[in-house]
Amino acid sequence: MTEGKTIEGESRRTNLMQMLFPSVVSGVVLGVIGAVVFGVVVGLITQQQNQDAQLVAAYIGWTLFFFIGIGAFEGITTWGFARRELTLEEEHKLAGKGQGLWRYFRYTTDHKVVGMQYLALTLVLFFFGSMGAFMIRLEQSVPGAIFFNPQTYNTIVGMHGILMIVATIIMVSGPFGNFILPIMIGARDMAFPRLNALSFWLVFAAAPVFFSTLAFGGFPTGWTGYAPLAVQEMTPGMDAYCFTIILFATSTTVAAMNIVTTVLVMRTKGMTWGRLPIFVWGVILSVILGLTAFPSFLISQVMVLMDRVFQTSFFIATFGGSNWLYEHLFWFMGHPEVYVIALPAMATAAEVTAVFARKPVFGYRLLVSGLIGVCVLSTVVWGHHLYTSGANTALDGPYMLDTELISIPTGLFFLGMIGTFWRGKIWMTVPILFVAGMLVNFVIGGVTGIYLADLPTDEILHGGMFVTAHFHFTLVGSMVFGFFAGFYYWFPKMLGKRLDPVLGRIHFWLFEIGFLGTFLSLFYAGLLGEPRWSANVAPMFAVPNLIASLFAILIAASVFTLVYNVIITLARGERAEANEWGGKTLEWTVPTPVPLENFEHLPVVTSLPYNYGSPEPVTEKATGIAIDMPLQTQSED
Amino acid sequence: MSEPNVDGNPANTSSAHKEPHHLRRAVIIWAVLSVLGIIATILLSPIIMPPAASALDSADNFTFTVFTVLAVPVAMFVFVFLGYSLIVFRTKGRPTEDGIPLQPTPFIQIGWLGITSALCLFLVIWGLFAFYQETAAASSNTLQVQVTGQQWMWTFYYPQYGVSSQGQVLELPVNRPVEFYVTSKDVLHGFAIRAFGIRVDANPGEVTTTPLVTPSVIGQYEVACVELCGLYHSYMWEFVNVVSTDSFNSWIVDHGGHL
Repeated sequence: MTEGKTIEGESRRTNLMQMLFPSVVSGVVLGVIGAVVFGVVVGLITQQQNQDAQLVAAYIGWTLFFFIGIGAFEGITTWGFARRELTLEEEHKLAGKGQGLWRYFRYTTDHKVVGMQYLALTLVLFFFGSMGAFMIRLEQSVPGAIFFNPQTYNTIVGMHGILMIVATIIMVSGPFGNFILPIMIGARDMAFPRLNALSFWLVFAAAPVFFSTLAFGGFPTGWTGYAPLAVQEMTPGMDAYCFTIILFATSTTVAAMNIVTTVLVMRTKGMTWGRLPIFVWGVILSVILGLTAFPSFLISQVMVLMDRVFQTSFFIATFGGSNWLYEHLFWFMGHPEVYVIALPAMATAAEVTAVFARKPVFGYRLLVSGLIGVCVLSTVVWGHHLYTSGANTALDGPYMLDTELISIPTGLFFLGMIGTFWRGKIWMTVPILFVAGMLVNFVIGGVTGIYLADLPTDEILHGGMFVTAHFHFTLVGSMVFGFFAGFYYWFPKMLGKRLDPVLGRIHFWLFEIGFLGTFLSLFYAGLLGEPRWSANVAPMFAVPNLIASLFAILIAASVFTLVYNVIITLARGERAEANEWGGKTLEWTVPTPVPLENFEHLPVVTSLPYNYGSPEPVTEKATGIAIDMPLQTQSED
Repeated sequence: MSEPNVDGNPANTSSAHKEPHHLRRAVIIWAVLSVLGIIATILLSPIIMPPAASALDSADNFTFTVFTVLAVPVAMFVFVFLGYSLIVFRTKGRPTEDGIPLQPTPFIQIGWLGITSALCLFLVIWGLFAFYQETAAASSNTLQVQVTGQQWMWTFYYPQYGVSSQGQVLELPVNRPVEFYVTSKDVLHGFAIRAFGIRVDANPGEVTTTPLVTPSVIGQYEVACVELCGLYHSYMWEFVNVVSTDSFNSWIVDHGGHL
């Protein structure tokens, strides 16, 4: 290991090799070599008889050597077996001190770097995912598979689904959960900084695996990857889907453990559970839910891969397997997962509203208990995805009860939001516009969920466009809008620049109008009985589909408005103030750009950060009580 | 706990000086819009809903309309209070003072929980009743149809007549209860006839059934596959012909079956 003291001095004289190793460049190079070697070796062993085995081996090789190349194992013999602790300089080196922009391309442990990496990745995934969406709308604009053949279309639908699901799962907990959350609770970093880097780079490593499906024939199953079809599928593109999920589920588990531990042990003095910002509650509840949900997704994909590679028969009926097993494993993840997406976005909206209405959150404890209620109830609702599976279990009634019970804690969220707006001094900024749009869309998404939760109406809607429209209203209309509220709100803190508010408003209105038009007409198509996943739209559904496609043009325009806004802001945006919006949470008390260890002195919290209309400060400032903590608390463990 | 703002709820007291009575205004707007919305729902639902060809489907459509009538005031509540706040309480530029630090009174908390719980309970009870009404007792003249899904077509076999539909059209007599026994030869398919209000998955290695359904209107309808089943999933459409009993009998004979 390089001695820490020499880093600063030598940084100007580093040659190219030192700059590239370790970094993402060397990771990719080694990863590709590893993939080729593993693939060829397994090909020789299996005598080229088992393409799936070769491909899975190549993916394993890629992952392993990518992480070697990017330096994930750096220093493992020095510190990993506790032969000695890291020195401060070594920690700073790992955290990317003095590495300039290169720190964003390395296995950097600083939570702010990881947050920025997540933000960039989220936006890139959203961009590709939305391109998939527009291709879907193009294909469905007229009856008959005209623009793409059904195989291509099915792959596009599946890729759109997975890209968006991954993007929405990481969109709040990734960028803001990593960048903002530790500052918000008054910590200097996450509890496990290296796991933090691992969680990001696992998602990154999953991306080439996922896109490689295009080279291997795609996959026909959509994002759900339903099993007999996934096992039957001859093209090895299916393996890419399974392996992507395995990497991604590992990443969310690692990230979740890290965030839970951080909030449990690294809150600053006075940051009691009753003073935690709503946003922190939302993120921690979301990741706890993710910890229960994602392992079953991981296992289901391991089983599919075993069926495909080793010819086991977990899901093949003729050999004693069951497709219901897959459906249960999948939806045991699949339904909590939408709340994994929802909780932090809802919490973000509450956080933003309090700041821009200049009012305390209306019923903080009620709102938090609402979020907790959603989190708990959502673990046992997955059975409603099997209402029409034919299994007809005695649990259909309880599943229905539980699904509809969720509307009670969700109602508490709405009470809190409406109450926070009511009689506020509302500053109509772009973030608050997105919150307003979110509430409008979330009501529509929520009440349409009732039809799908209830047995008699689900019978005419299950597996149809109504479902598609419903979950787009909740996931896109509500949660992605919540993300954008957070995005416009925290962008000045994270990047130090002010996004153009006029372009922001154009982005919002194009998105909202386009979104409502697109998915309200798809509700109608679903009501008429249009099935999901149709490359070939039946003529009787042509009109609502065409209307939906035309409105989608507005959404496309909004995407490019956002891209333009981000690029132009990064290039020549105004500098933002350290406390751009007058927020009272701790991230607004630190300078922008946020220094490496966040706080010079760790603050002492004395109240909730929503004491608008009250003279009391949130923290004890300049009273001499501010305490110095050792810099990296990780090494205390 | 130092939570400084647990005041009462000054907005709800009528003593607000000179301010218009916002709460009363918003409630009136909400009530008017809700009534209008409910009337619109009742008037429009026969136009919007696709025609039903069985009692089961009309019952499902009716439940849909009932839920929509309930949903209108709920949605309107959020739209109106949100819209009112955004229009009336907005400031010009950055606010210079803070809003009134309202906190929910116990009355609001209990009332809100009570109303949402009552709505939720109603939905569950309605759903259970409506669903169990569907499990009608089998009558003596039930027509049995074995439905087999395979990539990418449906085949229908009538065991009582020893006949199979070769032209991939599901022929059914009007006003006679039908029970479908659904299975799949390969992967998961979803057997759905929107006009009858039935929908069940076709699972490989399992036989699933639909509720007993009686087609009540002569006409042509569609069977769709509603589970993604691979390449030509969206082409897995077939027709359902509901015909008179005489036509059905002659159709059976034409296809080599015995009556």
